[in-house]
Amino acid sequence: MASNATQAKNQAPEHEPAPILQQMAIFASVLFVSSLISPLFPKSFPVPTPVIGLVLMYLLLATHIIKLYQIEKMADFLISLIAFLFVPSGVQMAASLNVFTEHGPMDGVMMIVTIILATIILLVVIAYTTACFMWVSRKLFHKSTDVE
Amino acid sequence: MTWVTFLGNATDPKIGGIAFFGIFLSLVVFLIGQWLFKISNGFFLFQPLFVGMVLGIFILWLLSKWFGVALPTFYTAAYKPGGDILFWFLNPATIAFAVPLYRRNDVFKKFWLEIILSLVVGMVISLFAIYYISKGLGLNNDVISSMLPQAATTAIAMPISGAIGGTPAVTAMACILNAVLIYALADILIKVFRLNSDPVGAGLGLGTAGHTVGSAKAVQLGSVQGAMASIAVVVISIVVDVVVPPFAHMMGLF
Repeated sequence: MASNATQAKNQAPEHEPAPILQQMAIFASVLFVSSLISPLFPKSFPVPTPVIGLVLMYLLLATHIIKLYQIEKMADFLISLIAFLFVPSGVQMAASLNVFTEHGPMDGVMMIVTIILATIILLVVIAYTTACFMWVSRKLFHKSTDVE
Repeated sequence: MTWVTFLGNATDPKIGGIAFFGIFLSLVVFLIGQWLFKISNGFFLFQPLFVGMVLGIFILWLLSKWFGVALPTFYTAAYKPGGDILFWFLNPATIAFAVPLYRRNDVFKKFWLEIILSLVVGMVISLFAIYYISKGLGLNNDVISSMLPQAATTAIAMPISGAIGGTPAVTAMACILNAVLIYALADILIKVFRLNSDPVGAGLGLGTAGHTVGSAKAVQLGSVQGAMASIAVVVISIVVDVVVPPFAHMMGLF
């Protein structure tokens, strides 16, 4: 199991990265197949295309059907762009700023306060809960929780 | 032809897909943000994404006043065609997180049970906290329902919000603000709450609270955090799918 990961790490320098068009083609194929799978989920349990795509891509990597060098460059490039790609989503709020004012100005402020608090709660609670479970694994099951 | 259509009406076949204004404006405001961030030595309010969002909305608002149209109308006519093109690239960018996840496959294989348990239990605790805070701040039930599914990606959170009696537009707004806030505040929050002592937890938290933007932040912190944030984006969306509707039902929100 662990050898797979180290093997994958060792493979990276041996191989030249695949040509960028091939990398794009892999991304496009995975997205296309995911977009065919996504509508199969019931309406009450929506799973959008990119989420299926992430799982699919991971499975393809884990089963060595796709090698890291075939998608690595494109993936790192796209991840480095994420913050920029989110600008249109942020600006999109221009079209629906009225949701903050339609319940009255006070409610709008409270909504923003709630969203800020919710963001902090999600980050801190999830991180601390994980620390607790890690502590339990360490103390009760004597499992090494060292990473890095 | 008015200036509004000139600035990028992609829907008018006679003008033919002028989507350049939206792409141009997005790039300019983001680069201004990067520049401000650099000259202010990393002041958190000058994070490029936050500056880009505020400045972008402000410029659109100024222009809409200039042309004498409503801001939503102007946004749809001038910015949206270009913005949608950039927005599409979030699809391949999301599946790209399979790579940092696979690079630290060893961590995922070792801790998969802890990861899933933490996300489920942490999500339930967070739901209680968000519910009682919204109640305490005097929000009405449909707004509270809109706040609950915000940990999932927008495409999952919006239909769930609608199903439990919330307003999908408010939920979408919350999801966007999550990402913007995490990108701006992650460094401070990690320091204040000392989250980096447990890299697995820090990664899961960032992926949950900040969606893919949080994951991009986590990738910068380290390979373990990046891998954990990537898995959190997927698993938390499924957890929200499963946990939020029964929770809302239990609390009598719909």
